[in-house]
This record gives sequence, structure tokens and C-alpha cells, in this order.
Amino acid sequence: MTDLLAAIGYDRWILNVLLGLPLAGMALVLLSPAERARWITLVVALVEFVLSLGLWWAFDPADGGLQFRVDVAWLPQLGIRYSVGIDGISLFMVLLSTAMMPLLVFGSWRAIDQKRRGFYSLLLALKTGMLGVFVALDLFLFYCFWELLLIPMYFMIGTYGSEGRLYAATKFFVYTFAGSLLMLVAIAAMVWTVGQGSGTYSFSYEHLLAHRDLLAPAAPWLFTAFALAFAVKVPLFPFHTWLPDAHVQAPTAGSVDLAVILLKMGTYGFLRFGIPLFPGFALSPPVAGVLVALSVTGILYAALVAMVQPDLKKLVAYSSVSHLGFVVFGIWAATVESVQGAIIIMIAHGMATGALFFLIGMLYERRHTRLIADFGGLAQVAPLLATCFAITAFASIGVPGLSGFVGEFLVLLGSFGRFPVATVLATLVVIFAAAYLLWAMQRVFFNRLANEANRSVPDLEPRELAVMVPLIVAMLWIGLYPKPILERTEAASARYVELVAPYLPGAPAPVAARPAGAP
Amino acid sequence: MTRLVDPAGLGGAVVALLPELFLAAWTLLVLGVVAWRHRTEEDSYLVGRLSLAGVVLAGLAYAALWLQGVRTTPDSAMVVLDDFRIAGAAIILLVAGPTILLSLRFLDRQRLLAPEYYVLVLLATLGMLAMVAAADLMVLFLGLELMSVAVYVLAGYDRFRRSSAEAALKYFLIGAFASGFLLYGIALVFGATGTTNLRLVAERLGPGPLSPMAGLGLGLLLVGFGFKVSAVPFHMWAPDVYDGAPTPVTGFMAAGVKAAGFAALARVLLEAFPAAAAAWQPVVGLLAVATIVGGNVVALAQHSLKRMLAYSSIAHAGYLLAALWAGSSVGLTALLLYLGAYCLTTVAAFGILLSIERVGSRTVLIEDLEGLFLVRPWAALSMSVCLISLLGFPGTYGFIGKWSIIAAVAAEGQVLLAVAVVLGSAISAGYYLPVIMGMTMKPTRTPQSHRQVAFSRAAKVIVAGAVIANLLFGVWPAPLVDAARDSAAAVIGAVGGGVAGR
Repeated sequence: MTDLLAAIGYDRWILNVLLGLPLAGMALVLLSPAERARWITLVVALVEFVLSLGLWWAFDPADGGLQFRVDVAWLPQLGIRYSVGIDGISLFMVLLSTAMMPLLVFGSWRAIDQKRRGFYSLLLALKTGMLGVFVALDLFLFYCFWELLLIPMYFMIGTYGSEGRLYAATKFFVYTFAGSLLMLVAIAAMVWTVGQGSGTYSFSYEHLLAHRDLLAPAAPWLFTAFALAFAVKVPLFPFHTWLPDAHVQAPTAGSVDLAVILLKMGTYGFLRFGIPLFPGFALSPPVAGVLVALSVTGILYAALVAMVQPDLKKLVAYSSVSHLGFVVFGIWAATVESVQGAIIIMIAHGMATGALFFLIGMLYERRHTRLIADFGGLAQVAPLLATCFAITAFASIGVPGLSGFVGEFLVLLGSFGRFPVATVLATLVVIFAAAYLLWAMQRVFFNRLANEANRSVPDLEPRELAVMVPLIVAMLWIGLYPKPILERTEAASARYVELVAPYLPGAPAPVAARPAGAP
Repeated sequence: MTRLVDPAGLGGAVVALLPELFLAAWTLLVLGVVAWRHRTEEDSYLVGRLSLAGVVLAGLAYAALWLQGVRTTPDSAMVVLDDFRIAGAAIILLVAGPTILLSLRFLDRQRLLAPEYYVLVLLATLGMLAMVAAADLMVLFLGLELMSVAVYVLAGYDRFRRSSAEAALKYFLIGAFASGFLLYGIALVFGATGTTNLRLVAERLGPGPLSPMAGLGLGLLLVGFGFKVSAVPFHMWAPDVYDGAPTPVTGFMAAGVKAAGFAALARVLLEAFPAAAAAWQPVVGLLAVATIVGGNVVALAQHSLKRMLAYSSIAHAGYLLAALWAGSSVGLTALLLYLGAYCLTTVAAFGILLSIERVGSRTVLIEDLEGLFLVRPWAALSMSVCLISLLGFPGTYGFIGKWSIIAAVAAEGQVLLAVAVVLGSAISAGYYLPVIMGMTMKPTRTPQSHRQVAFSRAAKVIVAGAVIANLLFGVWPAPLVDAARDSAAAVIGAVGGGVAGR
């Protein structure tokens, strides 16, 4: 397999194709009749997924650096390049988003019955934006993709969402736009500072990383600007209030995309840019203390709030806030285990929460309500639906043998040494997660079948099974045999730790002017 | 290959002012035609097309000068021909041409048939061209007055509406006031230095602190220009005037007048007062912040689309002032790039707005656009692109402009001003987005009136061209960046590297 891929020059064109294909598909969707939109999107999604599978084999697990590099001049006068590549951290984000794509099309197959061309072209535009964020290695390019995502998501929530969609769309846009604008100023200042010091004005991530010592004097505000943009996206308590609104009002596909990919952009941003570029400030005890305190607060608070939600979608939305707090926590602990754990939580959360949103969407299509109180006893009439929900809920709770457990365990293991109190507090959340999800499941699927309307709820049809089965298989696979993923994330995690380790409190004072391994 | 001409001699002056001479002669010719044919609709169309030919002629003359590499000698007396002037003139002509084209059908529809309109547009354009060509405060003032007087009349051109008359009177009174400030400023600068030539002023002022008289002159000049480019707190006239004037004229004022004003202000500050940066930088910086905050915050409260665009154009003046504040070649590059983006977008936005307006009806409210996408998808999409570009979103030319301003300001180490710029765009999302949302996401309340929206062929071509160019330059701005750099170097390079020595 590896030889075949090498023979066709896979590593040179794959990222360009992955970025370009959805855009081409979008043009095709816009030019074709509306009834063909979903078919075109499905074909594009499948081709994209199959092509991206090659990354799994072509990726060199032993190399912690960036692979599949493409680097061409875009605006040479300004030092801006089209520069992309992936490492063990972004590999899984890319695979996750290409793998989700066909499922999203299937999931929306029936739900979207008007303005189809618009919907599917937005879905495709979103895909390019998301992939772009994870592969961009030029900060200007990164910022462009980061912002470009907002527009399709804004239109998706605002046009295809439910009753409160206009408010939710505006809130989503304003929060994330305002959050990331300061990052733009920080990027400008960074490039200029490094340019003054090194003589080269460049937006290249590697260039900035190699000269990050020059950034140290301005690190407090630069990091704050980046952190604000990322914290809104994560979302970190107290910047999370846009998320429940956006999640609840978005159409199913939008919710899934938000949960699976968009929320990971924030944590990915910390992992790739936020901490490695400003390690001295980001890891200093006060800053780390604040961030860890915020993430632990978020973990506990969101879990408690989730418990009392009457709306299923809102419940899952708050559970996202809670889970993502773990990721932040693991990133700041900065041990190989905790970082690998954080990456696996990102994957596992994407699958479990994505699956939950799909299931809620299916429930909504059947009953046109998401209120827990309207359901009850559904397991009797729709056993397959109930089974899928149960497995997914267990995966989300973190039951051993399913995907959620591996990541949380690794994070707790890796961070206990650094933040013992916070770790103990965070462990509590597993109890809360069990409480809110199991309680919700009981009220929806078990209890008495009191409401007559629930008697006629049909079970899952083959199309819906085609969405759920791959997700459940993946959850089991990660839970039982995470080794292939651990292998591929280990080198990149180790490199991250190596980049930031000298700046951890208690580490010997950093002597090297250049971080090891930087060009 | 560069050919130098000295405008002190007659031959040199003719070459250096070739486009303006062409345009002036053509304007007189058109005026003659008007005296003879001014009765029917056909006459109006004829004069309009003739005027357009005049703009094209001036454009061709500029193209010829540029291609031949003709430049004036470095110490030229009254006018200068450099890359900066050519860039400014290109922007102005690219605003004037579409304004005339868009006016053809608009005037007909609004029953405003009087062919003198086009002559006034030509005269205003001539004034603007003189402003960007000026190497001397007197020429600058001459151009400014020629432009202003013509635009006063244009603002009041809709003689059936009171608001138009009110706009004209307001603009005239405030404009006369501003001209007074400018003239007094020029007089004081002349008193302090004995010259009105920009470069000689700089030379005689020397590197030290300004004398009180020169300082006062500089201050009065800034006040006068503040009025002209509608910087807060000298902006009070702008919303009423922009709202009352006929829509194509509003577009012309918002884009053309502003571009000419900023080009002239940049020349005055960077050529005549480069050494006095310590004196004007704080003032320009404060004006920038006040303008960004004031324009954006008040725009939030507007219901009329035209008025909202008026306030947003005030906010954009604030961003431009921030670029000027930097005073470096990077800052001047940013100023030109942003002016280009802003004018391109403004022309398209007003082209759409005037196609939506209907005879005799009240102004278009933002809620009148609800559901436009369902009936007129292309109009709604084009408007959305314009607004997103004004918002400064990646993928549009507007973002490149905003980015270069932020980079220029950050390069001077002034992060607070850069933060003000981005906070301004964050606020502006609050009034641009509801328009997009109304057009694309809300149901139609007035499908009948949406169906009446009629784009003339000229409007279609202009709007489509501007929108496509906007997106194209958003992805590939390299040629514009190069051109803006060369133009900025013409001003900064000649005075020894800008205020900060860069």
C-alpha cells in the first residue's frame, strides 16, 4: 500500500485535492438542478473519504514533524505562502472530518427538503474551511480558513435551523468573529516583531516557531489574543454561551459539524499555535492556573447544567462543553500521555457527540420535538434506535471498552502529577456525565410509554443504520484497540512536549535559543 | 524607462496636465452641447454618453503617460506627475465612469432630466484630479473648490424632494466653512515659510519643532480636511447630506470625494510636514479612533439602508485615518489598497441600492430588503458580498485592505490603534449582518415590490464586474499590492523615508 501511494506521488497532491475537491463539488452543485445536489455531494464526499484513507498508510508514525508538505508562494511581497502539511495531531482531525462527510449527507438526506442546492453547497464549503484550518501552516492562510468557516456556518444555522435560528446565527457569528479579530492584530504584530529580529518577514509557522524567543517580550498580550480566539471556539467557560444556542438551533448536519470539527479547532489551535509559540508565558504557573481552573470549572459547571436541561439537544451541547474542558486540561499538563489522551478525546468526543446529534435529529424527524418530557418508553417501539443511543451514551460517559474511556484515562493519568487537585475534581465529572446521560436515556427510552404519539414511532431505517453502524464500530474499535491511533499520535505528542518542556515550571532553565527539531 | 518633464515650462506643463487639459476641454464641449440640446430624454442620454467619453479620454491620457513612463522632475513647482498621482487618478476615474453610467437610467426613472448633471460630474472629477496632482497648496485648494462647488449642486439635484435641498444647503454651508479653515491654514503656513509649495514647506520648516504659526496652520488644515473626509467630530453634515442627495451622487461623494480628500491629505502631511509627525500623529490617531467608534456605533441604530451606508462610510474614513497615522510607506500602501477596496465596494453597493429604489417612494429601509434573495437572488448575493467586503472578511478585497492597515499600524508598534480598527469591524458586524440576514434568511413580506427591482444593463455590468473583481482581488491581490507600493514609494521615497525613518 505504502509503495503504491508513493508511486503515485500521493504525498505531494493529496492535501491540495482534499481542499479543492469540495470547492469543485460546490460549483457543480450550484450549477446542477436541485434534485441532484445531494447525489453530487454524496459522490464528492465518498471520493474525498476514500482519497483521505491513504493518509492512514502513507503517514510515517515515527516522524513527529510535519508531513505531506506543500509550500508555494501566494503573496511573496507580503511573505505569505500557501503552505500546508499535517502531523500526528492534525492527521486525525483531517480523517475525522472526511469520514464524517458521507455520514452528514446521509443524515440530511430526508431532513433537508427545500433549498437543497444552498444546503449542500454550504456543507461542501464548510468542509474546505475545516480541512484548511487543520492543515494550514502559514498563519495568514490559517486565519483566512479560520474566518471563512464562519460564513457557511452562519448561513447554515440561519437558513436551515429551527425557530430561534436568527438569534443563534447572529450570536455564533458575533462571538467567534469578535474573538478572532484580536488574533489578527496579534499575527500582524508577531510577523513584524520576528521580521525585525530575524530579517525575514514571513507568516510561516516554522519560521515563527524557530524565532519564538523574539516573541517572549510581547508574549502576554500576543498569547491572550490567540487564547481569546481559541477559547471562544473550544468553548471554554465563560465564553461558551453561544454554543448551546448554536447547537440547538442548527440543523442536524450543522450540529454534527459543530460538535465534531468546529469545537476541535480551538483545542487544536492551543496545541499547534497557542502554547508552542509562547510557551514561557502560556505555561507559567499563573496562566496555567487560570486556564486549568477555567477548564475544570467548565467541566463541572457544564455537567451540572446539562443535568437539568429539558431539551435533549441542549443537554448534549452542554456535555460538549464539559468534555472539551478535559482536552484543555490535558494540553496544559503537557506530558506525552496527557496530550495523546487529549487527541483521543477529541476524536472520541467527535464520534460520540456526532452520533448523539444524529440520533436526536432522527428522533426530531419522527416526533418534531426534542423535549425529553415528550418521550418515554421508546425502547419498546424502536429497539434499534434505543440500542444505538445506549451504546453512544456509554461511549460518551466513558465506559471502559468504548472510545470515551481511553482518552479520559490517559488525560487523568498524564496530568495527575502536575495538577493533582484539579485531576481529582475532573474525575468527578465522570459521575455527573453518567448521571445526566443515563437519566435522559431512562426518560426517553425506558419509563412507561405514556404518550400515545410515541406508539407510532418507526424504528431506524437502513439509511439511518448506515449512518450509525460505522460510528458505533469506530467507537468500539477505539475503545478496544486504540494502538494504531496511539502509534500515530505518539511522535507528534512527544514533539509537542519536547517543544514546551523546557518552559514547564520546575524544568531546568531553557538554554537552547532554538527549540530542538525546528528548522 | 522614465522620461522626466519639468512643468515649469509650457511644454512640460502641457504634458504633465495632459489628462486634465483633455477633460477640461471636453467638459466645455459638453457644456456647449447642453446649451443646444437640453429638452428631451434623448438629450440627457446623449450628454451622459458624451460625458462618459470624456472620462474615458482622461483615462486614456493617464494610461499613455503611465505607459510612456512620463514623470515630472523631483523639484517641480505646481503639479507633480508620479505613481501616487496616477494611482489616485485611476481610483477617481474608476468611480466617475460608473457614476455616470449608473445615473443614466436613474435620472430618467426619477424624472430628473437635466443634462447639466453630467457636466457637474465632469467638473467635480476635474477638481479631484487636480487635488491628487497638486504639488502646491494653491493648486490643491483650487481643485478642492472646483470639486466641492460642483458636488454642492449635485447634492441638491433632486429638486422634488426637500431632503435633497436640505442636503445641498447643509453641505454648502459646512463646506464653505471647511474651505475657510483650509484657506486660513494655507495662509498661516505661507506666513511661516514664505511658500505654498509642499516640498519647499518641508524644507523651510526644517527638522525642529514647528513654530506657533506653522503649527496653527497645520491644525487648521487638519480641521478643514477633517470636514472634507467626514472625520468625527467634523462629520455632522455627512449623514444628512448622504441621505438627501440622489443615490448615484451619494455613491460618488462617499467614494470619489473621500478618495481625493485622503490622497490630498496624505500628500500634505507626508510631503509638507514629514518632520512634524510628532505634532500631527497624535491628532490623526485620536481622530481615527473617534471616527471609527463614532461612525460604527451610530450606524448600529440606523433603519434606512442609505443612512446606514453613510455612517459606515464615516467609519471607513476612520480606518483610512489609521493608515495615514502610520505615516510610513507601508501605511501609505495600506491607504491606497484600502481606498481601492472601499471605492470598488461602495460603487457596487450604491449601484444595487439605486436599482432597488423606486420612483417617489421613501428611502429604502433595511427591513424592505427582507426576503430579497428568494425573488432576486443575484442582487441579494452581490449585496452580501459587498457588505462582507466592507466588513473586512477573508476572501474579499476588503480584507486585504483591512489587513494591510492593521499590519502598517502594528509595524509602528501602536497596537492600541490596531485594536481599535478590529474592534470597529467587530461592531460593524452588528449592522452589516442584519442586512444580509434580512435578505437571505427572512421570508419575503413584499414580493411584489421585489419583483419591480430593475437593474439597467449598465448597473448589471458594473455591479457584477465590481463584485467579481472584489472576490478576485481578495484571493490574488499581488498586482495591486505591487502598484500601491510603487505609488507610496513615490511620496515617501522622495521625502527621505517617511516620518519614522522607514
